[in-house]
Amino acid sequence: MNPNDSDASRFTSATTDRRGERDLDLLLVHVARGDTEAFETVYDRLAGPVYGVIRRVLRDPSQSEEVTQEVLLEVWRTAARFDPAVGGAATWVMTIAHRRAIDRVRSTTAAADREHKTAEVHTPHDEVAEAVQASLDAERVRRCLDGLTDVQRESITLAYYGGYSYREVSDLLKVTLGAIKTRIRDGLIRMRDCLGVS
Amino acid sequence: MRLLRHDLHSLSGAYALDALEPGAERDRFTRHLSRCPSCASEVRGFREVATAMAFATAAEPPAGLRDRVLAAAARTRQVPPEVRTHARPRRTRTWTPWVPWLSGVVATASIVAAVLFGFAQAHTQDELNQVRAENQAISLLLSAPKAKLLTYPVTHGGLATVVLAADRHELAVVTTGLPALPAGKVYQLWLIGKPKITSAGLLPPAKDGQTPAVLATGVAKGDALGLTVEPAGGSAQPTTKPILALPLPV
Repeated sequence: MNPNDSDASRFTSATTDRRGERDLDLLLVHVARGDTEAFETVYDRLAGPVYGVIRRVLRDPSQSEEVTQEVLLEVWRTAARFDPAVGGAATWVMTIAHRRAIDRVRSTTAAADREHKTAEVHTPHDEVAEAVQASLDAERVRRCLDGLTDVQRESITLAYYGGYSYREVSDLLKVTLGAIKTRIRDGLIRMRDCLGVS
Repeated sequence: MRLLRHDLHSLSGAYALDALEPGAERDRFTRHLSRCPSCASEVRGFREVATAMAFATAAEPPAGLRDRVLAAAARTRQVPPEVRTHARPRRTRTWTPWVPWLSGVVATASIVAAVLFGFAQAHTQDELNQVRAENQAISLLLSAPKAKLLTYPVTHGGLATVVLAADRHELAVVTTGLPALPAGKVYQLWLIGKPKITSAGLLPPAKDGQTPAVLATGVAKGDALGLTVEPAGGSAQPTTKPILALPLPV
């Protein structure tokens, strides 16, 4: 661990610069004032990752499209609640997107699909490799995931991309609850360092 | 089960990935988070990691989604910027306990907006006091850690947004874009349970297409939220076919 491990703000500013998130922060401020052109730009910048992550979690294309629309509309409606002091715009939007996808997964309507999903999951790491595009972000994420232990990597991908709770991850990987929560946290710390160093 | 502080702290990763199931454990961690700046900072860092993971799995959204989102935005009222600057000092106190929590759960913003409209519509001190009392109940509901947001389309147009606090057996409802009703008709909410159907109140008149939040209590397991059109003053039991029947995950 390097000495800046706990310095989340350093990391934030690094990613902020890389993705031009400061522009995005500013755009959201304009969106909050009802600027539809700014919203179009925000859509063009973020609809891809929003749809991508939701689809990754939900799998069903029509449900994913529905949730994506809800999320983007939520961004329009609640842009005034975005606080750049707390984190970047992309993170704000992706947090909403992932949470909405998870809500959908855990809702009763998705329960049936989920039964199938459990059976389908075998090698989360290969799935990551498959879905990962040739973008810089994807390359970096893949490289950083590769640097984790197997259990760290599988726990994180099952939780984030698979939409599983850590309890479910513990069942799937046959590892104790306590170990899973520690692996997720340790893995994320390593990911944070790896991505932050760039 | 009591958790040691260290165990609680180690949940930061699972929490940041939305991998804590709704329940006592997540509630405890959420409470802990508000008192632990280093945990909050760690969660922020982890969310940045998650964001990179989302970008890594970006996919081309379906054709037509852009137009639909932009069209929907054009008809959707935004949450007013900066509640604090708009609220008078007395009102600010009302918001203080729960606004920080809300900023984390932005999905409830439409309810907040509706609460604010309630204030905007109150003209007299009595009205204001009543709105304030209702809002206190709604703000308690919104601050319930297990509160869950449901959005559902209404037959013939419009959306119902529900914040459900299953553990408190309460919910708040806001609607947007419901068709205007002819004179002498009202929208009435129902809790539709297996043994019986009970009224959950009338929807107040809409302002800019949105109805102020309505609080319903006594939500029981297996209930669905129903909405019907009834004669002015409401009915004891529904007299028309529900235009909304939203199963409530209680």
